[in-house]
Amino acid sequence: MDNQAQILPGTLDLLILKAVSLGPLHGYGVLLRIEQISRGALLVEQGALYPALYRLVRQGLLKAKWGVSDNNRRAKFYELTAGGRKRLREEEDGWNRLAAAIGSALKARPEEV
Amino acid sequence: MSFLHSFRTLVSSLFHRSKVEREMEEELRAHIEDRAADLERTGVSKTEAERRARIEFGGYQRFKEECREVSGTHFLEALLQDLRFGMRMLGKSPGFTAAAIMTLALGIGANTAIFSYVDAWLIKPLPYPQAEKLMVFLAHDRKKGWTNNSVTSTADFLEFQHLNTSFAETAAWAGWNFNLTGDGPPAFVEGGRVSWNYFETLGASPILGRTFTAEEDKPGGDHVAVLGQGLWQSRFAGDPGIVGRTIKIDDETYTVVGVMPGTFQFPLMGIANLWTPMALSDKETADRNSSWFSAFGRLKPGITQRKAAAESEAIFARLEKEYPQTNTNVTSEVRSMIEEIGKNEGTTQVMICFWIVALILLIACANVANLMLVRATRRVKEFAVRRALGATKGRLARQVLCESLLLFFFGGVAGALFGAWGMKWIQSAIPDRVRGYLVNYGEVNLDFTTLGFTLGIALLCGLVFGLAPAFEGSRADLNAPLKESSGQASESGRGARLRRIFVGAEIALAVVVLICTTLLVRSFLISVRSSPGFNPANVMVAQLQLPKTRYRQEETMRNFTEQVLERIRALPQVVSAGAASSVPFGGFGQVALIAAVGKTVPKAEERRAARFTVVSADYFSTMQIGLIRGRGFTSEDAPGSSPSAIINQTLARQLWPNEDPIGQKIQYGEQHNIATIVGIVTDIKMFQLRARPERQMYVSLTQFPSPTLGFVARTADHSTEMATAIRDEIWAVDRDQPVSAVEPLHTLIMVTDAGNLVLTELMVFFGVIATLLGAIGIYGVMAHQVQQRTHEIGIRVALGASPVQIVRMVLGQGMKLAGIGVVVGIAAALGAARSLASLLYSVTPNDPLTFTSVALLFGLVAAAAGYLPARRAMRVDPVVALRHE
Repeated sequence: MDNQAQILPGTLDLLILKAVSLGPLHGYGVLLRIEQISRGALLVEQGALYPALYRLVRQGLLKAKWGVSDNNRRAKFYELTAGGRKRLREEEDGWNRLAAAIGSALKARPEEV
Repeated sequence: MSFLHSFRTLVSSLFHRSKVEREMEEELRAHIEDRAADLERTGVSKTEAERRARIEFGGYQRFKEECREVSGTHFLEALLQDLRFGMRMLGKSPGFTAAAIMTLALGIGANTAIFSYVDAWLIKPLPYPQAEKLMVFLAHDRKKGWTNNSVTSTADFLEFQHLNTSFAETAAWAGWNFNLTGDGPPAFVEGGRVSWNYFETLGASPILGRTFTAEEDKPGGDHVAVLGQGLWQSRFAGDPGIVGRTIKIDDETYTVVGVMPGTFQFPLMGIANLWTPMALSDKETADRNSSWFSAFGRLKPGITQRKAAAESEAIFARLEKEYPQTNTNVTSEVRSMIEEIGKNEGTTQVMICFWIVALILLIACANVANLMLVRATRRVKEFAVRRALGATKGRLARQVLCESLLLFFFGGVAGALFGAWGMKWIQSAIPDRVRGYLVNYGEVNLDFTTLGFTLGIALLCGLVFGLAPAFEGSRADLNAPLKESSGQASESGRGARLRRIFVGAEIALAVVVLICTTLLVRSFLISVRSSPGFNPANVMVAQLQLPKTRYRQEETMRNFTEQVLERIRALPQVVSAGAASSVPFGGFGQVALIAAVGKTVPKAEERRAARFTVVSADYFSTMQIGLIRGRGFTSEDAPGSSPSAIINQTLARQLWPNEDPIGQKIQYGEQHNIATIVGIVTDIKMFQLRARPERQMYVSLTQFPSPTLGFVARTADHSTEMATAIRDEIWAVDRDQPVSAVEPLHTLIMVTDAGNLVLTELMVFFGVIATLLGAIGIYGVMAHQVQQRTHEIGIRVALGASPVQIVRMVLGQGMKLAGIGVVVGIAAALGAARSLASLLYSVTPNDPLTFTSVALLFGLVAAAAGYLPARRAMRVDPVVALRHE
């Protein structure tokens, strides 16, 4: 488990939006998708997923619909709204900028200073 | 719209709460089950998989709570929780809760009761269609300044009716008493003579038959009558065939053409049950000097009161030019009927009550806010614990606010009950005769408007006055109180200051209320104690009107009067008896123009009028009206001999300022009769206890028999048997002669003064409440302070402070507070009392006696309210107080 990282505060929403953008998912599916797309590197506290999902629904970024899951059970599926898609793009850009900035900062060598 | 939308979401989320909850549960469970299934697939046992799945999920309840919170229904949920919790907290301190609710019930209830009258009389429209279009015409003399509720003259009115373009209809009316005979005992029926379009102009229609036609409003065709439902039912047993039936009015035959519903009313006229057409004679229609009726009109659509008034002014200006003899300075005002009725209903009085109860509500609220502040200090520890457990400041503030709202809500409910009782009390205090002049006969109900008002002010006050305690409560410091071992949580400096401000304001308000109420009560006491000029005790009064048909001759009238007087005098209980054309407080009187003969005759417009009464020889002695000079009427004043007159002091002083009036001649009335003055009597009040002295003159009933008569009898008792006996004596002389209720003169005075009595009783009540609440306020603050300072006082005593010093210290603080409150209150009262001026009698708005005694009273109240806490402080045992530590 040592190679797994706790996700940074504030990034859970981004991850959820990304996961759902790849196709409608139910709650457990979101968890699995995040693990899958991060190649198991990111650890989401499972219960914490739900307050985040509810909040995103309330903010109008996700919409929830009841459907049937693979194992033939009634399940609540989340999908992106237009607002959600827009927000995802913004967050992605922001993240990339931040990551690039931090990356370049960390690559700095003494002679560059 | 967006408000409506969010309200709908709120409601649906409230009602669908269980569904949302179920789905949330289902979703979270499914997650755990899915996870367990996945784990099981990796080879773990089923029970172990389930256990691991639950652990991985984390705090199930916590996440569920968080979900609820973010999904938005949380606020209401919390509110319900706060309310439930608030209820529990209130239930836990029943003493505080009861005290607060009772205080609020008094304050809110008083407002409910008074508001119901404001609503019924000042806000609600008159019970006619488009009542705001109804205007009354008042005669006004620019030079003399008087305004009269009748038309300027009959001819003027008819001309105005013809010329104006502002009014769709104009109608005339006059209150009238009818003698109804046949179909049972003779009855004295109150009603009116009205123009044919009177009912239509008001917008009222009969329940049976029809109203009058224009043809019937002319001499000759006018023997038709409309009955009121009450009379129709009581006297004619609701005969469905009443229309077309003939009845006897004043001994003449009238045909009933219609019946008006019981709800029909015309508060300007008073109670009415019978109407006949006015049928003005040719002589009357040409009369430019006088009139005997009043009039009103309905504005045409689109015409405003101002426009109509301007037109009326123009018409009367023209009449003034055309008829300078009669119309100089005379004009007619156009006033809203609603306002005119409001005057009868005591708009000023009602509004003053309304302001006073508003002040009382403020006092009550300040008191309750103070109680809540004290409670907040006592609960500092509780709040600290709850903050430590994670409650936010906002949540704590909301909690205290919720408690306040609950408290005020219950106060409002109790207040509505108390107010409903108060309304009924006020209503029962208004005599029936007065009620006829009130909209809906004075009927006032606890309707939705009033209830809405009550709950509205309750919740508004709860919010406003709950803010301070809520703020205080939410400031709870996490650590300080928990560290204090003694539990003697100290109040924040600001909390204490706030409480002192509240109490100071409360005392100031109470002083204002008490000064205003005292002024009104004093006016009332002075007016009822002042002599009306006669002695009303043990006098019975019977009023009647002799119909012209049977009493055309003076002789028959004279005989009737003398026979009745003789029979009444013969009754064993009767000490003396007299008769007059009109009696004080009988609601009826005559006026005559007068002039001193031999003096330069003043110009027409400067002629003076005097109250004119025809009286029997025994009238003055029976009424105990004081004879100042000369003699009363005697057998000398017989028919045929030269007329004698008796005048009152005011008339004597005004007409013969520097001469002896006895022996002078006075000219009076339209026929310019001349009489010799034989005596001077004291001034008497004829209609109002608070009336100013007026000119009065009397002539002899033997010389000038009168068709309107009031018999007065001074008796040993005034039981109903006495009343019946007097009525029977009248019927023994003429069994067809209706008589008004035979009543003690005292009752007649009480009826006319009922409004003042009700106002006074309310004022006494309001004054007592204000003083009481003020006293409770001072007591509360001081008791709390002593409790807070027990420790400090203990130290002072230990260091040698004497009990007297301690008492002085504690009392001194309370007195200082009271002193500031009283000073501010007196300053405010100086301004406020000025608006009472029109209701005061023989008392100035800044009556020094009232102001000083109220100030002194509040000093005493403050001392008394501070005494108990001060005594407690004095008895503080230093050992106990210090061990408290």
